[in-house]
Amino acid sequence: MEDPANHDSWRQWFHQHGPRLLLCACLWTRSQADAADVVQEAFVRFWRHQRQLAGEPQALVITSIRRAAVDLSRREDRRTVREQQAEEMSGNMAPLFETAVEDRERILVVETALRRLPSEQREVLVLKIWGELTFEQIAGQLAISPNTAASRYRYGLAALRKDLTPLCHG
Amino acid sequence: MDDSFQDLEAELKRLRPRTPSAGLLSRLERELAGPDAATDTRPSRERRSTPVGTLRWVVWPAAAALVVLGGIAVVYRSPVDATRSPAPFAQVAASEDPAGASFKPVGATKFLYETLDEGPVMLSDGLPARRVCNRYVDTYTWRNPRTRASVQWIVPRAEVRVVPVEAF
Repeated sequence: MEDPANHDSWRQWFHQHGPRLLLCACLWTRSQADAADVVQEAFVRFWRHQRQLAGEPQALVITSIRRAAVDLSRREDRRTVREQQAEEMSGNMAPLFETAVEDRERILVVETALRRLPSEQREVLVLKIWGELTFEQIAGQLAISPNTAASRYRYGLAALRKDLTPLCHG
Repeated sequence: MDDSFQDLEAELKRLRPRTPSAGLLSRLERELAGPDAATDTRPSRERRSTPVGTLRWVVWPAAAALVVLGGIAVVYRSPVDATRSPAPFAQVAASEDPAGASFKPVGATKFLYETLDEGPVMLSDGLPARRVCNRYVDTYTWRNPRTRASVQWIVPRAEVRVVPVEAF
């Protein structure tokens, strides 16, 4: 990953990494609006105060996003679990991925399968594939061992493959 | 990693996460427009709705400033009356100094300035509990008996306790 400290403009860095950060934020928030809020909070803090720090910038921002999301969920008791479940059942959740016209159906199927995964497997999968974190970094984020992170990743992939097998991976 | 997952991994990596909305970009634009804009990094939507939360971002920098000031610069020559401390909880043993010219610890106090009930949590054994955060400022004082100069070290501290609900 390139060094953000060498970038003159935050736009360039955010254009490249913002979509992944937003996807990671969706793991720990209840809505797309909340995800955008925590990405904003974490990214502004990173860009102003932390981008000169040593280490992997994206891992640093993801750590900050997770903390902001946890803080937000503690503060936000406005919505009840029933409201959240109603939203999930209504199927009106914002899409996680860009959907090109030619493979739109397949992307929606994969996304649906991803949402069906147990949250701890989905979390590791997203952080590994789109967050581009190592198992060690994921373990640090989630306070689990690297072996546990790797196991959850494998279980997640296996469950996804099983879910998608009738369509493609047979 | 299992080779049989390679196709699936490759397919997943081809998926492009959704681009952030124009609204988020414009909010970032406003926040990062000036290099020294407001130091509160939280989203504007949130800042408006939680004034109490905003206070937290004022208290902690202030406490950090106290640490710096206390640790570096608070050396003064006026006599110090250790008994004026609001709640002494420890008397630190003074060390003998053969030269008689160095500072000796003369006291330590703690001041509880905030208690937050952070709500219910579930313990690993299934018992309900509440998470309570107490915030203190600890003050340590050293004095040079020869010159009567004193140094104070002021440290903010948070103590988080998980209390079973039966205790309430």
